[in-house]
Amino acid sequence: MKNQNRLVAAVSTPAILIGLVLVVALIGAYGDVTTARVATLALVSVVFVVGLSVFSGNSGVMSFGHVAFMAAGAYTTAYLTIPVPLKKSLFSDLPGWLSWLADVHTSFPVALLAGAVVAGVVGLVTAPVVARLSGLQSGIATLAMLMVTYNVLNSWTEVTRGSSSMIGIPRGTTAWWAFAVAALAVVVAWGYRCSRGGLQLRASREDFWAAEAAGIAVGRHRAIAWVISAMLCGVAGALYAGYLTSFNVNGFFLAATFSFVVMIVLGGYLSLSGAVVGALAVSALQEVLRRFQDGQFTGGSALPAGVADLIVAGVLLVVLVKAPYGLMGVRELRLPGSRRRAAEPAPEAEREPAHAG
Amino acid sequence: MTATDLNPTRRSSVLRMAGGGIHFDGVKAVDGVTIEVRSGEVLGLIGPNGSGKTSTLNLLSGMLKASAGSISIDDQDITRLSMRQRARRGVVRTFQSGRVFGRLTVWENVEAAALGGGLRRPAARALTAEIIEELGLEPVAHDLAQQLTAGRVRTAAIARALATGPRFLLLDEPAAGQNESEAVELITAIRGFAQRRDCGVLLVEHDMSVVMGTCDRLHVLDSGRTVVEGEPATVRSDPRVIEIYFGKRH
Repeated sequence: MKNQNRLVAAVSTPAILIGLVLVVALIGAYGDVTTARVATLALVSVVFVVGLSVFSGNSGVMSFGHVAFMAAGAYTTAYLTIPVPLKKSLFSDLPGWLSWLADVHTSFPVALLAGAVVAGVVGLVTAPVVARLSGLQSGIATLAMLMVTYNVLNSWTEVTRGSSSMIGIPRGTTAWWAFAVAALAVVVAWGYRCSRGGLQLRASREDFWAAEAAGIAVGRHRAIAWVISAMLCGVAGALYAGYLTSFNVNGFFLAATFSFVVMIVLGGYLSLSGAVVGALAVSALQEVLRRFQDGQFTGGSALPAGVADLIVAGVLLVVLVKAPYGLMGVRELRLPGSRRRAAEPAPEAEREPAHAG
Repeated sequence: MTATDLNPTRRSSVLRMAGGGIHFDGVKAVDGVTIEVRSGEVLGLIGPNGSGKTSTLNLLSGMLKASAGSISIDDQDITRLSMRQRARRGVVRTFQSGRVFGRLTVWENVEAAALGGGLRRPAARALTAEIIEELGLEPVAHDLAQQLTAGRVRTAAIARALATGPRFLLLDEPAAGQNESEAVELITAIRGFAQRRDCGVLLVEHDMSVVMGTCDRLHVLDSGRTVVEGEPATVRSDPRVIEIYFGKRH
C-alpha cells in the first residue's frame, strides 16, 4: 500500500503534464490551420522550456543562452533533411572539409536525434564554464554564449547562409511528433529531477555552500544538467525547423530568448509543472494578443505593432512583483490525494521536537 | 562508501590543525592555534565573542583557507582540499544559522547530504530513515525545511550533517537560542550519536555552563590564540579562563 502510494506520487505529476500536452496535441491535430500551427508551436515551446528547466529549475541558475542549443538542433535538421539537390545549390560555397555535408541525408526522426546530439556536444563544450559560475556571472556568460552562436551563424555565410533564411526543409513535425517529444521531455525532466543527481543539484540551488559542506559536487551536477538540458533544447530546435520548413538566424536571438524566459518565469522556474504551464499559457496569450493587435477583436482596426509584446512584458512585470516564483512556485501539479505525505503515518499531533537519540 | 562504513569498526583517528592562522585586513582572527579532535570524543571550543571560534571551525572545514599552518587527518595533509573534498573525507560542519535547504523537504535535505557523502540511493534512503527517526523528525519529514520552527531547523541541520557520514563533526553553536537544559539535552543526543559512530565532535559554544557537563575536553580561545586546553574541571579553575570568561564578563 505504502509503495503503491509512493508510485502514484512519483508518476502523478508527469502523468498530468503529459495529459495537458495531449490536449494541446489534439487541438493541433484536429484544429483549423491557424489553431494547429499555434498548438504545434506551443508544444515545441514546451519541449524547449522543459529542457531549460532541467538546468535552471534544478540549479537555480538562469540561462539566457539556451536558444543557442535550439539553433544547433535547427541547423542540424536543415542540413540533414533538405533534399540533396537543393542543398547543393544552397550551399555551393561549402569549404572543402565540410563538402560532405552537402551529400548527407537522413530521415526526420534521425535528424531529431542528431539535433539532440549536436546540441549536447555544444553543451559538453560549454559545461566546464557553466559549472564554475553562479548568479550574475552565469547569466552574463550564457548571454555571451548566445552572442557567439548568433554571430557565428550570422557571419559564416558559406555554411549557415548567414542572414538569408534556411529554406526547403521538408515538413517532418506533426502535432503528434511534437506531442511525443514533449511527453518524452517531461519524462526525462521528471526523471532527472527525482534522480540522485537532481536531488543534489536542487539542494545546491537552495544553498550553495551548505551543499558543498555536505559533500555535494555542485559543479559536476550543474554540468550534467546543462548537457541534458542542451539536448532537449536541441530537439526543440529540430522540431521547430521541421515544422516551419524555413527559418532565419534572427529566430534564435534575443526575441526568442525573451519569449522563453517569460514562459519559464511566468510558470515558475522551480517547478516542472511551472515550465509546462508557462509555455502553454504564454503561447496562448501571445496568440490572443497577436489577434488583438491585428484587430480581430476590435472590429478590424489594427493596433500599432509592438502592443502585444508590450502587454506580455507588462504581464511578466506583474507576475514578478506579485509572485516572484511564478504561477506554480515550488508546487507541482498532482492528482488529489497522491501527496507523498499520504503514504506516511499520521503525525502525532502537537508532538514536541524530540532531540533525544 | 557504504552504510556499514558509518558503523564504529573504524580505527580511531585525529583531525589536527597545527599552528593554523588567518587574518582579515591585518587583524589576526586566528593566530597560531594548534587543535586536535579525536574520534569518539567531544571537544568544546569556547571563548568570548570574537575570539576566533567560528574562524577556527571555518579553517578546519575548509570554508576559509589558512594563511598559516597546516590541517591534517592522521598523517594525511588536507590543507589544500576544498570544503567539499574535506566533507568527502569525513570532515563535516554545520552552520550557525542552520542553512537548511529551504525549499526541499526535511527528508530531501537529509537524503541529499547522504548522497553527497557518497552513498548509493538505497543506502542513502536507509540512512535517511534511520537518522530522521533517531532525531525525532518523522512528524515533519515531508514538510519543507523553510516551514520548520527554529528548533527543528537546528535538528534538521544536524541530521543533514550526520547523513554526510562524518568522521569529524564540526558544530557551530548547535544549541544557539535554546535555554541551558534544552542545549544540554541536544548536545547529549549528539554525543550519543557521535560515540556510536566513533565520530569526533568539535563543538563551538560560547556558554560555559553548557559545555561543562557535555564535553570531554575544552579548548579556550581568546583574541585568536589558545589560552588553555584540558579537562573541563581543570579549565574552569584556570585563572586565565576565569579572568577572560568570568572575571571581566561578570
